[in-house]
Amino acid sequence: MIRIIPKLDIKNENLVKGIHLEGLRALGDPEYFAENYYLNGADELIYHDVVASLYDRTSTLPLIEKTSKKTFVPLIVGGGIKNLKQIEKILKSGADRIFINTAAINNNKFVKNIITEFGASTLVVSVEIVKNKKDYYCRKDFGREETDIEFISWCKNLQDIGVVELLVTSIDKDGTGEGFDLDIAEKLQKFIEIDYILNGGFSKLDHFLNVLNICKPSGFAIGSALHYNVLNHKINSNKFDGNFEFLKTKKRFNNFSKLSIQDIKKFLNKKKSIEFRKI
Amino acid sequence: MKIFYNLPKKIEFCSKCVLSNQVPASIPEYLHKPSREGAKYLKLKKNSSGKNICSACEVNEMKKKINWKDREKDLIKILDKYRSKNNDYDCVVPGSGGKDSVYAAHILKYKYGMNPLTVTWPPILYTDYGYENFKNWIEIGGFDNISFKQNGNVIKTLTKLSIENLLHPFQSFILGQKNIGAKIAAKFKIPLVFYGEPDAEYNSPISEFTAIRDHKYWLGSNSKKYYLAGIPINDLIKKHKLKYSDLKPYLPIEKKEMNNVDVKVYQLGYFLKWVPQEAYYYSVEHTNFKARPFRTQGTYSKYNSIDDKIDDLHYYTTYIKFGIGRATYDCSQEIRNNHITRDEGLKLVSKFDGEFPDKYLDEVLDHIGLKKDKFLKLIDKFRSPHLWQKKGKKWQLRKRVFD
Amino acid sequence: MKSLVSIIDYGMGNLYSIKCALDEVGINSIITRDSTTIKNSQAIIIPGVGSFSNAMKKMKFLKIDNVIMQHHFKKKIIFGICLGMQLLFEKSYEGKTTNGLGILKGNVLKFKTNKVYKKNFNVGWKKIEIENRNKNSLLSKKDNYMYFIHSFHVKPSDNKIITSKSTFNGQKFVSSIKNGHVYGFQFHPEKSSKIGLDVYKCLKKILNK
Repeated sequence: MIRIIPKLDIKNENLVKGIHLEGLRALGDPEYFAENYYLNGADELIYHDVVASLYDRTSTLPLIEKTSKKTFVPLIVGGGIKNLKQIEKILKSGADRIFINTAAINNNKFVKNIITEFGASTLVVSVEIVKNKKDYYCRKDFGREETDIEFISWCKNLQDIGVVELLVTSIDKDGTGEGFDLDIAEKLQKFIEIDYILNGGFSKLDHFLNVLNICKPSGFAIGSALHYNVLNHKINSNKFDGNFEFLKTKKRFNNFSKLSIQDIKKFLNKKKSIEFRKI
Repeated sequence: MKIFYNLPKKIEFCSKCVLSNQVPASIPEYLHKPSREGAKYLKLKKNSSGKNICSACEVNEMKKKINWKDREKDLIKILDKYRSKNNDYDCVVPGSGGKDSVYAAHILKYKYGMNPLTVTWPPILYTDYGYENFKNWIEIGGFDNISFKQNGNVIKTLTKLSIENLLHPFQSFILGQKNIGAKIAAKFKIPLVFYGEPDAEYNSPISEFTAIRDHKYWLGSNSKKYYLAGIPINDLIKKHKLKYSDLKPYLPIEKKEMNNVDVKVYQLGYFLKWVPQEAYYYSVEHTNFKARPFRTQGTYSKYNSIDDKIDDLHYYTTYIKFGIGRATYDCSQEIRNNHITRDEGLKLVSKFDGEFPDKYLDEVLDHIGLKKDKFLKLIDKFRSPHLWQKKGKKWQLRKRVFD
Repeated sequence: MKSLVSIIDYGMGNLYSIKCALDEVGINSIITRDSTTIKNSQAIIIPGVGSFSNAMKKMKFLKIDNVIMQHHFKKKIIFGICLGMQLLFEKSYEGKTTNGLGILKGNVLKFKTNKVYKKNFNVGWKKIEIENRNKNSLLSKKDNYMYFIHSFHVKPSDNKIITSKSTFNGQKFVSSIKNGHVYGFQFHPEKSSKIGLDVYKCLKKILNK
């Protein structure tokens, strides 16, 4: 079974979705989307606080609590996590696992500390990469800061320290609907043994087939393709700050056609005999 | 204490956005003298609660009351009048493939049925991804384009001189970008020109939030009073081995050169609500526009003004001369659009404003033939003492918005 | 009187998620480490994610191990989830050998790895197969997917207490048990969607008897 994992990018109390990890177009209340995904068969959910590192704060705790009351599938939370105390608070609020990116790059030891304190299964390491000629390089701070860390060597490093699962995001594909990056899939298949969730670029069912012909991820993280289908153009009048232009004008984002989680699971079952849980 | 550029002595900040009263208003660059005599700066007024509000925020309040449906009707009236009936071009859209020109050209063609001719005054040094975006604008967006590639010697000389005399690396780009629309319009007899968002979105006085762009930016009147790179034209010709014909592309069109075409230069942002971040999404959706693959130095975003390697340096010089860096400009726009709060803006400004633009600096200086150590010494001459003080070896702004 | 379930807070485990699940099915519960509250509850839930030795250390420090044993001697319902189930057994062979609560006979072992099966963490949705179907194990009669996240598994001395098995690394392992008033689940019912919530619904029925 391959997990289908809706990924929700969060700013303050809004679900936002950018392209190339840029732009904070608000799409609605995250808990509304999360509940919808849970009821429709999501195997797991990811909450990513996309401005935590920018503003040096973690604001998602009330949201995690709200979500825990209504969704009974695992929740992975990340964004700006820098110390063990933050992790403790996030887990106490109802999250099951956490992910880090920038903090791992800045300090390898932090990864080991998390594994020791909370168990390796609690940690996912997020790797956000950009293509440069034939190789991929890691970014910190939600795609803002460059590093010269080559993607596969970093993943191997994490594998050696005892990380159990990666969340691999193609920044070049994020939010575009162009399909998953198949070169990334090939590299992962060739060099990495631990589990990885692929993220970035999905919009059509065939995109899965292209990936599954190359590798077997433990999960697919999906953002725009689901959010643009679930959104209902409602604007919570209490939330006035955020880019609400798109919701106000009630447009459609034409890169993404009609699609649901059940559509995805039935397709994978039909074409690749991948089992799925009945809701 | 000396105060440069005619700047206001007391430094004050807008209480709504993060701009200060040191922000320069746009001036026609061909009249730009080193002293900036007569230059205007962003006005701050006290509102009913006694707090400072800048004119950009004032305009923004007015913007909230606009009936955009009516404005669109006005636009359609104009377009109906000029729309081509014989398959000719009916409007000129200047731009270099950035998100705003993509949006302008695309919406005029595909929503309003016009036949735009896009016109490009290219950046001094295209970034790779900026050039890709330009190509995609034309190839995927589907437009005809005329690009005016400038005489390399001339543009390098002018750019170097404008840095030395004005610390203004962007002048040679701004000059052409603002006049080329009208010049092409006159030459090809296409009277209608559309630029994207109005300057008032950023920093011009209220009067410039109009449908028609002030003609002083593209129509000249007295060539004897022109300055380029802060130098009078005649001196430029005498001392720097340049001919008048070399300089013409940078100068505004004269009435007698207009072929009797009644050129009208509009700002599309007057008719259509302009949200820069949404222009980004639009251009990705329609022309595969790609953001910069890393954070722009001096700010937090990746999609604004990314096609010219000299851009970063330009904003660094506004930081030196006026204490206003790129993060300040970007934040104030996003605060006005309600994308971020003022508190978030303060954090971003304190984090990124004035970041040294070392990514492309060496390449830029090499390109125009200016030595780096000479450049670094030059910078300090442009710091107005009323804005800057030295603390040990470091320069620090006396007053910062987040203090 | 409404039944009260104590969710034992010894410093490890997803307490809040369990409480949300209990709220969702209408079981009155409290997250607590207070011995009096625990004594007065009808049932206790022992959560847990992480290291066995860490957990026993914390329990002993808070003297919660004693409270649990008292609850067990009174034959009141115990519900162990994930590590919480593992702690009910005698010993764990995690690095150094650690003693558990010893309420159930048997031990806790790490998943074996070899050249073919290299992963030692079972994370994700796996099918469970019901065993000893005639027992009231709180599981529905259907085989179904549950959510697992662990690298150790239990080996009871008495096979009769096994109520379901699952497979990982080519090996079958015990995914749930029932021994009288003691229930254990290696998976997380509160994270296993509606099927998981059904487990809590069954618990509610038992409590109401």
